[in-house]
Amino acid sequence: MTITPELLLNFTIAGLMIGVLYALMALGITFIYSIMKMINWAMGEFYMLGSYVQWALVVFLLGADYWFVGIIGSMILVFVVGLIVQRVLISPMFTSGMERRDEYGTVVTIALSLFLRNLMTVLSGPDTRTPGRFLPPVTLGTLPVSGDRFAAFVGALLLIFLFYLLLNYTWVGMAFKASSQNRVGVQTAGINILRIDQAAFAIGVMLAAAAGALLAPVFLVYPSNGAIATVKGFEIIIIGGMGSIPGAVLGAIALGLTESLGSVFISSGLRDVFGFVLLIIILLIKPTGLFGERERLS
Amino acid sequence: MEPIIETRNLTRRFGGLVAVNEMNLAIERGEVRGLIGPNGSGKTTLINLISGVYEPTSGDVLFNGKSIAGWSPNRIANYGLLRSFQVPRLFGSMSVMENMLIARFADFRLDYRKDYDGATEKAQQLLEMAELDPLRDKPAKILSGGQKALLQIVRGFMVDNISVYLLDEPFAGVNVVVKETIMKVIEQMRQAGVTFLLVSHEMASVRRMCSRVTVMAQGARIAEGSMEEVAANPQVIDAYLGGKK
Repeated sequence: MTITPELLLNFTIAGLMIGVLYALMALGITFIYSIMKMINWAMGEFYMLGSYVQWALVVFLLGADYWFVGIIGSMILVFVVGLIVQRVLISPMFTSGMERRDEYGTVVTIALSLFLRNLMTVLSGPDTRTPGRFLPPVTLGTLPVSGDRFAAFVGALLLIFLFYLLLNYTWVGMAFKASSQNRVGVQTAGINILRIDQAAFAIGVMLAAAAGALLAPVFLVYPSNGAIATVKGFEIIIIGGMGSIPGAVLGAIALGLTESLGSVFISSGLRDVFGFVLLIIILLIKPTGLFGERERLS
Repeated sequence: MEPIIETRNLTRRFGGLVAVNEMNLAIERGEVRGLIGPNGSGKTTLINLISGVYEPTSGDVLFNGKSIAGWSPNRIANYGLLRSFQVPRLFGSMSVMENMLIARFADFRLDYRKDYDGATEKAQQLLEMAELDPLRDKPAKILSGGQKALLQIVRGFMVDNISVYLLDEPFAGVNVVVKETIMKVIEQMRQAGVTFLLVSHEMASVRRMCSRVTVMAQGARIAEGSMEEVAANPQVIDAYLGGKK
């Protein structure tokens, strides 16, 4: 294949677009980690839930024209599920004085991911579904772009912007930031950290669900569709630095660009390998990730 | 008069180690009580127990005559009992002013528009008292160690109903000027009705600030009285210098 500047530009734009969508997933993972200091291994299943709710709302209730209402509906529903899951499964480890919470969190969220994936297989069967097309193809400059990808890209950009406003221009956002810097400090200042945890978990899984809902017509809807999203999400937070919000966004864009340009210059068949190569290079140069900081353990 | 803070046979074990052992302490309203003892005597653990960071293994903590043992730290703080840490627990990427306001506004139920002006004014007054007001818009992470200690202390006064403040080594690693400012702040707030429990190794500061001093060793209270009285107590001398075998 001859690589022309136009082709290069097209793949760069495609890489940026998919990078922004990866960012939603990575933001959810890193946001929960930064506040609760635990990894939610079931993030992919919340992505999957988001895609299923989107499909169900569009197919059975709203119709294809109101796909954007479906996105909001998916986010709200998964937010509520997140509140309940955090309260029932996660919160007890923070209220019982338990040591090694991260290990408990790992076991519980892996079990949750298996449960949700199998539950959806039972309820919906293993078939692949699609909510139909969001938008007809659009043209960016000379680049023809799938309308579904473009809609997902714009939706993801909007959500990232709203998340940025929440974190930086509201007092609740300040409380999230303060909690991520010092959990004991906020508690002894009078802040209810359990409520912050619950809200952070619900917002984090809601972002994953938004990614699932936005990408439902692109990557389709089936019980294990969150697996790839989870792997990408974890790649990104290691590239960007654990717990770093800017790291999640820039890491996602770096991954999207690497995959897209690697597909042009080397081989599209190795697309998923490029992310791991980038991850290894970053770890060799800066083991804490692009924006990660060394943690003082004592 | 009923003590504002009282511990009754308060005990905390970590496995086989008894960090605080049957501790009884009563602090009168308006007092600045000193709490001293050699390293490892259980002073910080006692503060962690009173402020809810640790749950007691047994015994009770009474605040205004009400049991608060087992309460969460935020519930205790909102009830008017605050504490500081030896290593200041600030929010480094946030400004000095945001550090002051965060406790006030990080509550999902508040009406920010109604409260904001009054809270900002109060924060400004406290920052002026601590001589930190020129730094109000700077990120907390750029402050010196002493300024961080000061900020942490005055931040506690943003809680409206504060009546007891537990200060863990507020003078550790701070210069003379900041130390004087911290003492000035403590005295002003004592006059405003706040009761203090002051943990410190700085004997000169404790002597100056505290009319009564409690001495801990091996998790228990071994002496109490004026600084002169406890300094002459043979048990206290043994605890600091090592007793005869």
